[in-house]
Amino acid sequence: MTDYELIEKFVKGEQSCFETLIQRHKNKVFAYISLYIRDQALAEDLFQDTFLKVIQSVKSGKYYDNGKFISWVMRIAHNLIIDHFRRVKQLNTVSNDDYESDLFNSRKLADANIEDHLIKRQIQKDIRKLISELPDDQREVVILRHYSGLSFKEIADITDVSINTALGRMRYALINMRKMMEEKKISLTFN
Amino acid sequence: MALNSTPFLSYHEIQVDSIDIYDDAYGFYQEFNDVMKLLEQVRPVPGKRLTKRLIERVRQMN
Repeated sequence: MTDYELIEKFVKGEQSCFETLIQRHKNKVFAYISLYIRDQALAEDLFQDTFLKVIQSVKSGKYYDNGKFISWVMRIAHNLIIDHFRRVKQLNTVSNDDYESDLFNSRKLADANIEDHLIKRQIQKDIRKLISELPDDQREVVILRHYSGLSFKEIADITDVSINTALGRMRYALINMRKMMEEKKISLTFN
Repeated sequence: MALNSTPFLSYHEIQVDSIDIYDDAYGFYQEFNDVMKLLEQVRPVPGKRLTKRLIERVRQMN
């Protein structure tokens, strides 16, 4: 069933259809928010708020199908993140606390020993740090493209830039990440 | 003599849904294969409890 078919059924009262949509798209939405925002608790709040906002908009007839439901959801997430930072800026209560806990679900490590596991966790932590050190505009493109699977056209639409700008940001992000990998000597030391 | 030939594909049979033409044209995955491989080691997913909490809130809304 397509996203739009699920939305139509949800609007008509079939609640489980929205739950199907959540299950279908939750990883993409969560990846975007949690990699863009360091604070885990805040990322979880915004993740929930995104879907609740989607419901409000769908129910008030603001969604028109163009076959890009996930792109529309990501725009809502993007706007919520921007709203949050605007509010924080106004209140001037920026927290510098880095979220240190591991957010990532790694692949099953059944056969790996503890040392491999620790190395893997360290690498994941390093990668997260690499991503977080990118300039905001570059970080966003990498996350939306690599983790949320959006096309450059969709990324350009969401971030209100041209496709060329989005492509340029991606390129600079990758160059910067490679440079940081070399400086910090980060590489895949396991397999 | 047996002849092996490539089956003809019509335009509509070519699957391009999962391919981003710009990605393809710019060759990011070829040029930055090392960075991409590293990025693939991280897959943030929402925890089961978070998903459950969200679904409960959705049910309350209706």
